[in-house]
Amino acid sequence: MSNGVDPRLGYSASAWQRACHECDLLLIENTAPVGHRILCPRCGALLHRASKHSIGYTAAMSLAGLVLFIPANLLPLLTFSLAGYSGENALYTGVLALYREGFIWLALLVFLCSMLAPLLKLLALLFISAGSSWPPLRDYVAAALRKLEHFQQWAMLDVYMLGVLVALVKLGDLGDLGIANGIYCYAALMLCSTLAAANFDAEAIWLRLDAMSPQELPA
Amino acid sequence: MTETSRLEGAVGIELGRQTCLTCFQLIDGLEPGYCPRCGERVAARIPEAISRTWAWVITGTLLLYPANKLPVMSVTRLGQTETDSIMGGVFTLYQSGQLAIAILVFVASVVVPGIKLLGLTYLCLTVQYGRNFNPLRVTRLYRLVHLIGRWSLLDLFLISILVALVNLGSIARIEAQSGATAFATVVIVTMFASHSFDPRLIWDRHRKVQADG
Repeated sequence: MSNGVDPRLGYSASAWQRACHECDLLLIENTAPVGHRILCPRCGALLHRASKHSIGYTAAMSLAGLVLFIPANLLPLLTFSLAGYSGENALYTGVLALYREGFIWLALLVFLCSMLAPLLKLLALLFISAGSSWPPLRDYVAAALRKLEHFQQWAMLDVYMLGVLVALVKLGDLGDLGIANGIYCYAALMLCSTLAAANFDAEAIWLRLDAMSPQELPA
Repeated sequence: MTETSRLEGAVGIELGRQTCLTCFQLIDGLEPGYCPRCGERVAARIPEAISRTWAWVITGTLLLYPANKLPVMSVTRLGQTETDSIMGGVFTLYQSGQLAIAILVFVASVVVPGIKLLGLTYLCLTVQYGRNFNPLRVTRLYRLVHLIGRWSLLDLFLISILVALVNLGSIARIEAQSGATAFATVVIVTMFASHSFDPRLIWDRHRKVQADG
């Protein structure tokens, strides 16, 4: 195989388009047709998924998510009352409460996972999907795309939602627990954020960016 | 195609190609450098993947002890304070008849970090010493370990919600305790551990074992 030709398949060295990122198998295809996905034939890793109108859907969903981000973060999600006293919980109050008690590391972690990373993720998705058709922004879009890979794993709106549900059950026997309006915004935000990420097709963006590589830009 | 032929095929590192793990560009040559398309650092394999994974796994395992031993939160009701460890919290839920939620919290806080640490230990040992293993199954184990990790932060979010919600002075008050710090650190450390691991090493080891006979 040292001559670069796979004897079984007979492809020449220049035919390889992609190596599987999980098993390093060389492949002659790297993009799936719209509405399809390609899996690595050897290890089954998802290599590419192309959804219809990917860029438009991502832009719409991330914009909707950004709008919902404001009420979801400012309105209380849950209320709790006992013997005439009451308290509420919004996304930021949990962070503040941990910070005041001196758990700075925990406060930072909750802030990162439930507020900062989801916000950056939505902003990046919107910027990338809206800006990728405009050549002057090429380098900024590429930078945002690169950063997105790193921080989107820290966006944990779905995990936080599960935390809210567990809190609802757990506190039921301690006092009166109610859900507040913020929770609906929060659920909708989570939905938008998930749909934006699920429809997002980074490969399609990279192909767009390749088509306008810096040296080919009009002066 | 038979099962064996599915496991063969041209491999990037053997034909002098490396892949950018950020934009998946295929790059000629095996020298570590920067991706021409996205500018991210590239190498044929994640550098020092096994030693880094071991370092994170050992750190996580050591932190398991304080994370499970120390209380993660305290509940004060009418002047009486009770502390709960992770398992204590699960047990309280179970006793109050919330079996489904007790199982959910147990899975997220105890089973998932356990599977992650054991799974990563197994992955590292397989890559270093494995003789007779099915690389496809091992890769699936890696994917499982990689996917489930973030759900362990459930308990941290739960604590942050409870602390903010139940803050009614001497009537009722929930406070975080030091175990929560250890627990959250375990989760973060295991996330770093699974990101340092390179699943392509499983297939490298498999090929090496096949070639040695």
